[in-house]
Amino acid sequence: MRVRHGEVLLASGFAGIMITLFLALKWAPSVSIDAFASPAAQRIFYWHVPSAWAAFIAFSILFLGSALWVFKRSAFGWRLHVAGSEASLACGLMAVWSGCVWGAAEWGTPWDWTDVRLNTFGLLTLLALFLVLGRQSQPDGVETRDTFSTFGLYGFVLVPITYIATRIWQIRHPGPVIGGGEESSLSSDMGLVLLLGAISFTILIAGHMVMSARITEYEQRLERLQNKVDGRI
Amino acid sequence: MEGMTYLAIAYLGMILGLGIWTWTVVTRSRNLQLRIKALEDSLGLGEFESDIITSEVNESDKK
Repeated sequence: MRVRHGEVLLASGFAGIMITLFLALKWAPSVSIDAFASPAAQRIFYWHVPSAWAAFIAFSILFLGSALWVFKRSAFGWRLHVAGSEASLACGLMAVWSGCVWGAAEWGTPWDWTDVRLNTFGLLTLLALFLVLGRQSQPDGVETRDTFSTFGLYGFVLVPITYIATRIWQIRHPGPVIGGGEESSLSSDMGLVLLLGAISFTILIAGHMVMSARITEYEQRLERLQNKVDGRI
Repeated sequence: MEGMTYLAIAYLGMILGLGIWTWTVVTRSRNLQLRIKALEDSLGLGEFESDIITSEVNESDKK
């Protein structure tokens, strides 16, 4: 029997994120009521941070796929571009949504237009939206692929800016929880749940990207079959 | 609103979004697979080179 890697990864990722959610709600320690205006809402963080992490992985795949298409004209590269843009959009929207809800609870406003981290991440998600919707509205061809791959290639510059934003300009978004020096100390229980979440989200989007790459391959095969039927080849 | 309400809204929104995305991807994959199989069976054709655009680019590069 043929092993369906995409489905296996999806199921494993889902199981992992559901265990993360259970541990986040039932097991992870509460934060200090002095440090947060809304301590209960802080538990959003156990999916918010892993989804942002997964979005960065997806943007990296998008960059790699775009580069492979632009420089090598690789069919595999184009499939990576498509899979990366769809995963970037989904994970980016999850991070933005959860961040907005947490912001509304903690800050009293869902968005801060002066915060660099929020705005560069928002721009990255909009870029992914443009790539997904734009590709669906255009006929597939070399020019279309070149255009969208160029956006995927140069748009990646926002990823390192987003990553370092809270280290340089801490305006509203909290500083880094890991690898940010003394201020980023996290209790070991919280760190464990966060790690499980990050691994689970990584497995989940890997499954989604395998499925997306498979769909792109099927669409191309179907197009070729239809061309054959139409007598165009 | 209470903190727990925000927590519920955030997680329910993400679960719903993930569920719809995953359902769409899995059903789209299965539908395409069935359509390809039906077309290939009805025409008695084997598998083709999967990426028509890349094959066109490669052919023009050879010329």
